[in-house]
Amino acid sequence: MSKKTSAANKSPLLRRAEPYLWIAPSIILMTIFIIIPIFTVFRMAFSEVSKTGRIRGFAGFANFLNVMDNPEFSKVLSNTVVWTILVVVLSTVLGFILALLLNNKFKGRKIARAIVVFPWATTLVIQASAWKFIINKDYGALNALLKTMGLIQTNIDWTPTPEAFFAWEIACGIFVTIPFVCFTVLSGLQSIDDSYYEAATVDGAGYFQKLFNITLPLVKNSLTVATVLNIIYVFNSFPIVWTMTKGDPAYQTDTLVTYLYKLAFYNGKQGEAAAVSVIGFTILLICASVYMVSTLKKGDE
Amino acid sequence: MKKALTPKEIFSRTMLYLVVSLICIFILYPYFVMVCTSLKSRSEIFSMNSTVLPIKPMWENFLEIWKRAPMGTYMLNSILIATGSSLIAMLCGIPAAYALARMKFKGQTAFLGFIIVSQMFAPVVLLIGIYKVMSTLHMSNSIIGLIFINAAFNQAFTIWLLRGTFMSISEEMEQAAKIDGCNRMQSMFKVLLPMAAPGIVTTLIFIFINAWNEYTVALCLISTDTFKPLTVGINIFNGYNIIEWQYLFAASLFAIIPVLIMFMSIEKNLTSGLTAGGVKG
Repeated sequence: MSKKTSAANKSPLLRRAEPYLWIAPSIILMTIFIIIPIFTVFRMAFSEVSKTGRIRGFAGFANFLNVMDNPEFSKVLSNTVVWTILVVVLSTVLGFILALLLNNKFKGRKIARAIVVFPWATTLVIQASAWKFIINKDYGALNALLKTMGLIQTNIDWTPTPEAFFAWEIACGIFVTIPFVCFTVLSGLQSIDDSYYEAATVDGAGYFQKLFNITLPLVKNSLTVATVLNIIYVFNSFPIVWTMTKGDPAYQTDTLVTYLYKLAFYNGKQGEAAAVSVIGFTILLICASVYMVSTLKKGDE
Repeated sequence: MKKALTPKEIFSRTMLYLVVSLICIFILYPYFVMVCTSLKSRSEIFSMNSTVLPIKPMWENFLEIWKRAPMGTYMLNSILIATGSSLIAMLCGIPAAYALARMKFKGQTAFLGFIIVSQMFAPVVLLIGIYKVMSTLHMSNSIIGLIFINAAFNQAFTIWLLRGTFMSISEEMEQAAKIDGCNRMQSMFKVLLPMAAPGIVTTLIFIFINAWNEYTVALCLISTDTFKPLTVGINIFNGYNIIEWQYLFAASLFAIIPVLIMFMSIEKNLTSGLTAGGVKG
């Protein structure tokens, strides 16, 4: 369309274009720094990539096959699944219980709430460093504490095997995720009107009846959103594993994200790293949509 | 008159206090360890019979870190990154949230869907792509680059929270302003934004904290020591062979405390912001 014709009916056209002008800055920002990187990763996953990151041409599924041929890959994949499931499930259950506790009216509740929620504002890398220090065998704070309390005489080796170290990383993951769950559930709980409970009490409902018939259905939405976000964050969590073990020894404690970081920036295999990224997206997309669809369906019934 | 508590009520009250206090102690434990360790000497930390509390607090550790590492530069970088990211996120996010809350247009649902899907791609899985894009733009190894990336990855939250805030404010006042001859811009700046100020400040601080705490992208992109933010810089004390725990934790406290105070100030508003976004969504 030429400028002249658009000038003739400028105001309706402009009015129609206006919303797009308002969202344009946001779209430009996200396109350059999120969308283009997504396309780049996909392109690299299906290309032959040199050590310096230069794309040399189409390679089909070669990168994917190479990744799957790596003997450590299945370990990394199973670690990722175990890590995501355990951290998400346990932190959701514990965070939910904690939120129910904190939703009771008692003196000092505000302080307790603040204490439970505030680790959310602490960067993961520092929390992970603290736990790394706490569980150290030779000079760790946990052994020192237990010795002072007289519970042990000699230092306990908390991380005798890579599996044990990984279990601690999972514990740390749960510890840092609980505040997020607790916070979201609490905000859902506080929007529930007291009158529901009062009516149920009059009808003679017990604590668990109220929990399952009133509380759970009403916080379900905020819990679903929190869980989906949680699956994504936990699956993609990098700082905890990186700070505590860097995936060592020999990929035994790696998850997909630490593995792809090593492939890309230590081993110069950017094509394979991109393939790992794509595998990660795919798993995540499937899990998140299955979860979303199943919870939404249940809500319809 | 106060009703006397039955023994059962007294028991459940006591249990509640007991459990809640134990949980609080557990949650505070890592912070307690950090504070104690930051006040110990190196030999005290590594001694076989280390105590829980420092024998003699070494306050000089907190001065020592400023001599041993460019702490001032790290801190300034963190402030620059967090401030820049939150401002850009708001500059792009406010108009977008406004359009979603106050206008009807084709592709609205698609845009909302796109925002939610963008949450799925964490920076860490896109690192290779980000690194390549940043190299092309000559923004790898720069603070400006980190600012844009943090702003972009926080867009979804910004728009989500602000849209909820805007939608919870009635449109009537703006319509009245329009009748008085204000155009859209004026009615937004003079009527809506002042009313939405608490929500805007909450979102701003939330993004600030996120950007302040960001670690992975900064670790990957920044190679020059003087461009590092605190989260990456403090690992100067976390060497491959020797970890200077006392300095690491002393420096960590400098990275934790400012955002902790900020978080406390918005905690309550954040709750209502999230629910507003959820209910209206």
